[in-house]
Amino acid sequence: MSKTNKTSETNMTSETNETDTWEPKIIAFLCTWCSYAGADLAGVSRFQYPPNIRIVKVPCSGRVSENMILSALKSGADGILVSGCHPGDCHFISGNMFARRRSPLLGNLLEFVGIEPGRVSFSWVSASEGEQFAEIVKTVTERVKALGPATRLIKKIDQAA
Amino acid sequence: MPTINEKLTEEIRTQAKALLADGTVAAVIGYSRGSLPMTVKPTVVRASEDCGKLVWNSFCVLNLANYLPEVLKSVEPPRGPRDPKPEGPLAKVAVLATGCWSRNIVVQTQEHQVDRDRVVVLGVASRGMVSRRKVEEQFAGREILAVEEFDHDLVIKGADFEEKINRWSVVRDNCQTCTRPDPVLVDVRIGEPASERKNPNPFQQVDKIEEKSSDERWAWFTSEFSTCIRCYACRNACPLCYCPTCFVDDAKPQWVGKSLDAVDTGLFHLLRAYHCAGRCTDCGACESVCPMGINMRMLTKKLNKDVLNLYGMEAGMQPASPLPLTTYATDDPQKFIVTEAKAVKEGE
Amino acid sequence: MPKGSVLVVGGGIAGVQAALDLANSGFLVHLVERTAAIGGKMSQLDKTFPTNDCSACILSPKLVECGRHMNINLLTLSDLVSLDGEPGNFRAVVRQRPRYVDPTKCIACGLCAEKCPKKVPNDYNMGIGKRKAAYLSYPQAVPLKYAIDPTHCIWINKPGRCGICAKECPAGAINFDDREKDHVLEVGSVVLAPGFSRFNPSSLDFTGYGRLPNVVTSMEFERMLSPSGPCMGHLERPSDGKEPQRIAWLQCVGSRDIHRAGNAYCSSVCCMFALKQAVISMEHAHGEFEPSIFYMDMRTHGKGFENYYNRAKEQGVRFHRARVHSIIPADDQGNLKIRYVDQQGKVNFEEFDMVVLSTGLQPYRHIIELAAMLKLELDADHFIKTDSFNPVASSRPGVYVCGAASEPKDIPQSVMEASAAAAEAGRILAPVRWTETSKKQYPMEMDIHAQPPRIGVFVCHCGINISSVVDVAAVSAYAGNLPDVVFSQANLFTCSQDTINQMINIIKEEKLNRVVVASCSPRTHEPLFQETLRDAGLNQFLFEMANIRDQDSWVHQHEPVKATAKAMDLVRMAVARVRGEGALPYNTVPVTKSALVIGGGVSGMTAALTFAEQGYPVTLIEQSDMLGGNGRKVFRNWKGDAILPYVTDLAAKVTTHPQINVKFNCEIKDVAGSVGKFSTTFSDGQSFEHGVAVMAVGGEPYKPEGKWQFLHGSNANVHTLLELDKRFIEEDATLKKVKQAVFIHCVGSRIPERPYCSRVCCTHAVDSAIKLKELNPDMDIFMLYRDIRTYGQRERLYQEARGKGIIFINYDLDRMPQVEEVNGQLIVKAHDPIIDAHVTIHPDMLVLATAIQPRQQSGKNLAKFFKCAIDSQGFLLEAHMKLRPVDFATEGVFLAGLCHFPKSMEESIAQAKAAAARASIILAHDVVPAESITAEVNRAKCTGCGLCVEVCAYNAVSLDENGLSLVNTSMCKGCGNCVAGCRSDAVTLKNVGNEQIMAAVDAAFCDE
Repeated sequence: MSKTNKTSETNMTSETNETDTWEPKIIAFLCTWCSYAGADLAGVSRFQYPPNIRIVKVPCSGRVSENMILSALKSGADGILVSGCHPGDCHFISGNMFARRRSPLLGNLLEFVGIEPGRVSFSWVSASEGEQFAEIVKTVTERVKALGPATRLIKKIDQAA
Repeated sequence: MPTINEKLTEEIRTQAKALLADGTVAAVIGYSRGSLPMTVKPTVVRASEDCGKLVWNSFCVLNLANYLPEVLKSVEPPRGPRDPKPEGPLAKVAVLATGCWSRNIVVQTQEHQVDRDRVVVLGVASRGMVSRRKVEEQFAGREILAVEEFDHDLVIKGADFEEKINRWSVVRDNCQTCTRPDPVLVDVRIGEPASERKNPNPFQQVDKIEEKSSDERWAWFTSEFSTCIRCYACRNACPLCYCPTCFVDDAKPQWVGKSLDAVDTGLFHLLRAYHCAGRCTDCGACESVCPMGINMRMLTKKLNKDVLNLYGMEAGMQPASPLPLTTYATDDPQKFIVTEAKAVKEGE
Repeated sequence: MPKGSVLVVGGGIAGVQAALDLANSGFLVHLVERTAAIGGKMSQLDKTFPTNDCSACILSPKLVECGRHMNINLLTLSDLVSLDGEPGNFRAVVRQRPRYVDPTKCIACGLCAEKCPKKVPNDYNMGIGKRKAAYLSYPQAVPLKYAIDPTHCIWINKPGRCGICAKECPAGAINFDDREKDHVLEVGSVVLAPGFSRFNPSSLDFTGYGRLPNVVTSMEFERMLSPSGPCMGHLERPSDGKEPQRIAWLQCVGSRDIHRAGNAYCSSVCCMFALKQAVISMEHAHGEFEPSIFYMDMRTHGKGFENYYNRAKEQGVRFHRARVHSIIPADDQGNLKIRYVDQQGKVNFEEFDMVVLSTGLQPYRHIIELAAMLKLELDADHFIKTDSFNPVASSRPGVYVCGAASEPKDIPQSVMEASAAAAEAGRILAPVRWTETSKKQYPMEMDIHAQPPRIGVFVCHCGINISSVVDVAAVSAYAGNLPDVVFSQANLFTCSQDTINQMINIIKEEKLNRVVVASCSPRTHEPLFQETLRDAGLNQFLFEMANIRDQDSWVHQHEPVKATAKAMDLVRMAVARVRGEGALPYNTVPVTKSALVIGGGVSGMTAALTFAEQGYPVTLIEQSDMLGGNGRKVFRNWKGDAILPYVTDLAAKVTTHPQINVKFNCEIKDVAGSVGKFSTTFSDGQSFEHGVAVMAVGGEPYKPEGKWQFLHGSNANVHTLLELDKRFIEEDATLKKVKQAVFIHCVGSRIPERPYCSRVCCTHAVDSAIKLKELNPDMDIFMLYRDIRTYGQRERLYQEARGKGIIFINYDLDRMPQVEEVNGQLIVKAHDPIIDAHVTIHPDMLVLATAIQPRQQSGKNLAKFFKCAIDSQGFLLEAHMKLRPVDFATEGVFLAGLCHFPKSMEESIAQAKAAAARASIILAHDVVPAESITAEVNRAKCTGCGLCVEVCAYNAVSLDENGLSLVNTSMCKGCGNCVAGCRSDAVTLKNVGNEQIMAAVDAAFCDE
């Protein structure tokens, strides 16, 4: 790869900076056809982003249910990202449109009961948007880091704290 | 001079009797008197001579649509689970329905749980049902032995007291904020139609919670739902909860633990509410039956508000359109969509 | 015996489509590409109109399929140098230039390019920015193999001087001894898809191109918009990197310009290209943005194009109908001033930050040599000449041509022609299908049903791509201690042939029944490893990948500890996921080898003959009692060929062909089944079993009404174009007596009720006017038009018409022409914007160029039978506007002709052949594969609420007679939308169920 990558230098943390401070874990449900490919392109283009996300490949953003999102939070995820093809580009015709329909209902409901805004995010990343993917991961990671560890849906942690 | 409800009761009995007598329907779903004050019993009447036990009053808090699929099945000839549907027209069932219940019947029709052609809707405009809990709270510590109902007042009687209270003051929250008391489906009209109620803000209780800070909301949520004993009365009273296996019973994966842990009960209520998104008519049955007095309606009401604001839909009001989560628009709002380097929070 | 293989020249979208269609219908294909990678011009585009799809995203899967296809022999850096023989038996010599990188060894790690010291202009980015002498054209290149540019490589020019790449390459793939070689290929047919070049505006001094840095060509601008281009998708102008706010597009640079550019034709695509760039730029811009387009006529004559144009206007794109006089610097900051002459002849100036030249398409210079070598005729514009009624046939039998090498055209038209060329190339070779192709054989699969999981993990170093960041040995050791993992090993290159062979042995020896490979992306490598499992006798679906390169080591290059921890997480998640997976069937559906064609017009007849000539039985149904449809009503095509004799001849061929059963006065009553096996019942009660269907139900002329009636029907001298054609066909002598004629264009087209251009009427009207002039050269003819859309080489007709003195007067919807009748005399009043005055004409004939519309009744009903989509205008909606122009989303059903969109006869013929070619891929097989990862319903949990039915985009889910959900596996695509929608968890997706996904999610959090 030719090194025309603008962001690679700015975002480098040297090895010695890896510390033992708390690092969030973020589950990213990515659709196979666009966002997973976009994540691959970020790699091919060497766009650096924080190592906090754990990508789970799903066929389509419309495959991701509210049960899955809440269950991931229950299991210990500090943040969730669901990403699919841009509206109109869905490989499965309309899956992302259904995902988009559902997203504000769940997001609003979680905020309504006091789950911090920013725990659950959605995005559109196409197969050619490697840099955008890296940027979104940075944004989401920063937001989750600012919120601190997710405790509210984790069992056996003092709720009143 | 008979009260409004007494007149309605008489009309219900007459209509039910006629429908059963001429064989139009095989069963009528209504209410009969309960054994305790301020209670009624959902009742299925299958013979015209039994119609005299049907009643109508301000304590009909359960949603009769909940019983409709089962009663419809009960009047079909018996068959095994894999047997094909019998040929020819099947017997019909009449059901009493107010605004919200009738909208539930619409949803049940949209979701193929009920065959509209087999239902005779006895449409009755709701005047708002009374919350037993509100009355009992007013008379805290005193045993209520009888309640006499007038058009605008209730007379509460105990061993050593008799007090008159304003009926509307103890009507359930969902009824007080209801804008659609009149049934949207009417095959046989009971009483007079009601006009749409102008309610300046049907979502005022939701708005109040939304005004709180995130931490305050979390505090509200945990305290509100902490008393849940997982009796599932809310689920059982809900005409939308008709799944043969509820998600709480799934093992692989186990979405929600079965314990009384606050996380498990919280998740249960969140997911149950979410499953009602776009389908709930705010009939209030869940709250009315909750032994712990949990306001779980706040969750479904919040979803109703969002579905209305985001997609312009109200459950049961658009029988010909698909349900909000089974369709989409190309320009649906994108509130939670994160874009490069910034989180877009789309405006109104 | 003819040869069962085909030579395809050109690896752009047309060549790739032709190669795939041929290879998938039973022929061995040699695909010859001049450059180091296939993909062509389409791969360089950022977005495609009118859907704004990401070009690379939609193209990439086709390229990957091409690269992996067993029966496509990809010859990159190659040219066809000679062709002898005759149809069925050609002998071709293909000369392959050296790549200097051994593609069997290259792992595309990019080290050679990174370390190469020689920077050269990046030709893929139109010379913007630099690449190295060791290079990969673009990230999604197929083959994904680097190459060394011999003109710039230091070693090749001065051996011994550099050679850094050879030292650095971890795979030892650099081979400076690589030499040119000739491949002698015996093939049955040849398909040419050599593509097109772009006009170089350096010769047009008025544009300032080459002198003024902020004047760029549209292709350069396209690369600048592309996220993988030199500006990473940021809008910045070349002179100072500032984000431009005012951009002007200049249309027709090098097109429709005989005097300065020498190109008489219209390039067809540039108007939409500019519109798209204007709209996309607006999306890219951060602040105020003002796009302006300077044009002569906006030509948005394709499906969805007029809507796009209207939307662009609403979004604020400005349009100037003007010809630009010159572009000069406005200041020393790089701004530009455009001097232009408006319609009234007034000179205006306007300042811009940047100017984009919409440069025309033109043939490659080497096409002329290629044509000479192949003895092909070229036309006056040096495009490869084709037959009017066989638009993909060149002048040499057995040699077919598709794409923009025969005329400028857009991607869908090129793709249609590619499939049509595949149909033609395969037609005479039908008897030798599958004679030269190879088919893979696999061993019996082990039944793992009752076995406890035995998981094997293979962790890849990928040279140093992974291991330079991730501690691969630690990950491998960690994996070995995970529950159910019985084998774990680290490999240098897991995808190398020797590791693959070793993996087969390990699976057998260790009795593995699940495999995890931790390496790169499943998108590129899963098929390879899945095939390895099959080779080892294991079901291919018992497999997962942990992507520890593209999504780990490459993106956390400076955080090795965290990257290693993440790799362990990813492996643990993959192990958890694979544990719950089971063997899946390789689903297939048997194919009934016959076709149904609906509609007996030119499209339907062409499709039917294409099937029949390959030996497939066809039933052709026609709702009237005669074949020919609209084809019988049109006088001649734009090239001047009479149409009726052709249609009559075609109808005779169809009715007498032994394989074609024509049913007249016939309609469809019911359709059951799906791809491979449909059963259709007709109005006469008979039914027909067929594997595929082609919808060619045609269109119909709009009947003028309301303000568009213009006395049609009440005054005998008012005709539609088809009514005038009838008089031409009948050789009506009275036409010669007409002294004055007026044509009104766009009657019923491009209006709110019908917001599309009917594509063919401008050409038809102009040609009819010319015909009238031929009959009576003294006739005065006035054309009242909105934009003249004689696209492509039809532009010559427009020039001819003007040369013959035909007068063109522009009108718009605010100033409609007025037609009245006084004492039997027609009076037409119009406003001439050039002289800004009203003109009154007293013609003795008025001709209305009426819209083409879909058939009101039949189309919609038929679409329902085959579950095909319809657009808002009632035209049938193809699966993908760009790359699947003849397929429906419903598999096994195809479309052609006017029911798709208005088009000319040769375009209908090409589309009909394309539809038949696409359908023949199915018919050429005994079974069609079906998705293995499909939804299935647990009926005990199903409520029958029908939510799954509603959200399924493929009509694969229905409610059965008991009211419970039922999945038609052959139609299910495995998206899982039904699963997410189901409240009671009654639906699951095999191996991608909640169980497997949530096992992976949970595993992300349980350390140790």
